[in-house]
Amino acid sequence: MLRQILPSILVLTLLAGLTQFVRADDKPSDDLVKLIIKLIGDPDREFRAAGLEKVRSSAKGAAATHLFAAQLTKLDAAGQIALLSALADRRDATARAAVLELLGASQDEQVRASSILALGTLGGIADLPLLVKSLSASGPEQAAARRSLVQMSGDTVNKSLAAELKTATPHVKNALIDVLSTRRATDESPALVAATVDDAAQVRSAAMSALGQIGSPDQISALLPGVLKAQKGGERDHAERSVAMICSRIDNEDERGTRLIEALNTIPPADRDELLPLVGRVGGKKLINFVGDIASEQDPARRKFGIDALSKWPDASVADKLLEIANKTADPAERNQAFQGYVKIAATRDNRSDRQRLDRMKQAMKAARSPEEQLLVINRTRTAYDVEAVRFVQPYLEDPEFAQLACETIVEIAHHREVRDPHKAEFDKILDKVIAVSKDAVVVDRAQRYKRGETWERPKK
Amino acid sequence: MLDTAFEALKKFDWGSDLGALAPIEDAVTAAHGKPEARHEVETRLVTALQGELSRDAREYVCRKLAIVGTAACVPGLAPLLVNPESSHMSRFALEQIPAPEAAQALRDALSRASGTVKIGIISSLGARRDAASVPPLGELLQDGDAAIARAAALALGAIGSADSAAVLQRSLQAAGGSPAPIVDALLHCAETLMAANKLTEATAIYQAFAQDNQPRLVRLAANRGLLACASKQA
Repeated sequence: MLRQILPSILVLTLLAGLTQFVRADDKPSDDLVKLIIKLIGDPDREFRAAGLEKVRSSAKGAAATHLFAAQLTKLDAAGQIALLSALADRRDATARAAVLELLGASQDEQVRASSILALGTLGGIADLPLLVKSLSASGPEQAAARRSLVQMSGDTVNKSLAAELKTATPHVKNALIDVLSTRRATDESPALVAATVDDAAQVRSAAMSALGQIGSPDQISALLPGVLKAQKGGERDHAERSVAMICSRIDNEDERGTRLIEALNTIPPADRDELLPLVGRVGGKKLINFVGDIASEQDPARRKFGIDALSKWPDASVADKLLEIANKTADPAERNQAFQGYVKIAATRDNRSDRQRLDRMKQAMKAARSPEEQLLVINRTRTAYDVEAVRFVQPYLEDPEFAQLACETIVEIAHHREVRDPHKAEFDKILDKVIAVSKDAVVVDRAQRYKRGETWERPKK
Repeated sequence: MLDTAFEALKKFDWGSDLGALAPIEDAVTAAHGKPEARHEVETRLVTALQGELSRDAREYVCRKLAIVGTAACVPGLAPLLVNPESSHMSRFALEQIPAPEAAQALRDALSRASGTVKIGIISSLGARRDAASVPPLGELLQDGDAAIARAAALALGAIGSADSAAVLQRSLQAAGGSPAPIVDALLHCAETLMAANKLTEATAIYQAFAQDNQPRLVRLAANRGLLACASKQA
């Protein structure tokens, strides 16, 4: 029966549609808006998507936006989230009031987060307090507020965010700093500089990270108190790295050194030595002498700072200086510090060749005075990706004191296919020895894999 | 050079050096925008086609006639249409020759062809969007061979005129259901009508298929069509 009447229904519908269409000619956009509204209310996601696509791009004008936004309260949560996203993309602030109303009424975390996110494009400076308040929330609402604040446009947004930074809780300060950094708010960097000496470590770290991204060399001296306030260890290292990153924006190496020395001179002399590791991280010829002199001073405490700074140098240009200190000193602790620094610097993967790195390791081995120092050299030889490095380490497989570490260094070098493959027969023989000698199952497994031409994936920490 | 190439064409077959035919290729290219040169190369190609040629050589000629062919070459190509071995390449040329004689040759061949050859000819008429083919294609909608009826529906959809839409709508009514090829063809018609700014006709088709009694995917396509029409109007 249905099969018989279906064509008639279709033709009638077709005619009805035609009439409706002709009538609709007078108000074409009304038809479009009605159809869009019908589709965004459809429970089928694909139909809904067709309507939302048009919310984003068609039926321009505030009247239509108002009608679309009015649907928010009529939809289920999934529909609300989808429509909020479409309204945000439509970028018509007419929808703002409806979005705020939904935010006030909804208990659904995802709907609230989507409303907050929509305010990033639909809202303005008036919504900033609400968004800042949402930064203290947890989960998706905080993440949405963060994104919203990053997206928000307006000449005074950065200024207002910086003002909030003065009074916010550490948790919110942290988020605000991240927002200012992502917005690349260089005009408000004084507020970030002030935050580098905040009482809360997380705020200090966030401010240092932000300035590492957007700070300018003019701020180097202003950041040094922040480096000094950072707790020794992870926070201090991070602060030093951030300032070193800003220094690296000065292209000329000599000027970089000059500017850093000038900045150091603004710090009380008693505190200056504590900043020597930062000098080491920045590196450069001009600073070698500055630090080298300190590392050779009479005062052992100052010498310690100087050696520490040289050990953090970004390249191997200070290697000879460290070796000289290591060889000359009579103090075992200082010898230990300088020798460790020398081996670390000599093994740095800078712009030298692998063969040059290996030559340094051979030099270090000759200078080594104890099995501990020899072990240090065998360990660091793994940074020279060269078959010669394997040949250098191979004899230590015979000595039980060094064998295990030698095995580890050999598999590390063998990991590099481009080193291994051209000398496969030689590597296979050495790896057989590693398999026989090593007591570490992972090392044995790696050696077997490399023999089979396979690779090995380092487990994620 | 060209004479030598046409001589080579007579012996050309699968695996022969295509370089020997390069002067023909060059002559076809050089004929662009030059009616006399075009006529000359077309005549030589038709003459070659009427002689003894391998299948590969014949197909080569058809490819060139697709570029330089006019009404003058249609009598040479038309006889190939009903031969299963040559029909495809003949259609390849006739589809692209703008002269109405080419369409007429395809229409004339409909009654002489059968099976897959006929389906191919129907498809070529659709590809040409040949308005004069609407009545014969409309008749083929009732063909006992379902594949031919389907090809006719799709060709009418490709033609995409108000007339072809009307024929399809009548067929839908007669079919007592919503056969997929007719629905596809009508939606294709609507798309073509919309592209031609015939929004009233396109909207009417889409509205018919946007009803709840239609399959989901048909409704979805129709609703997308309605949105596109309304957006175009707004």
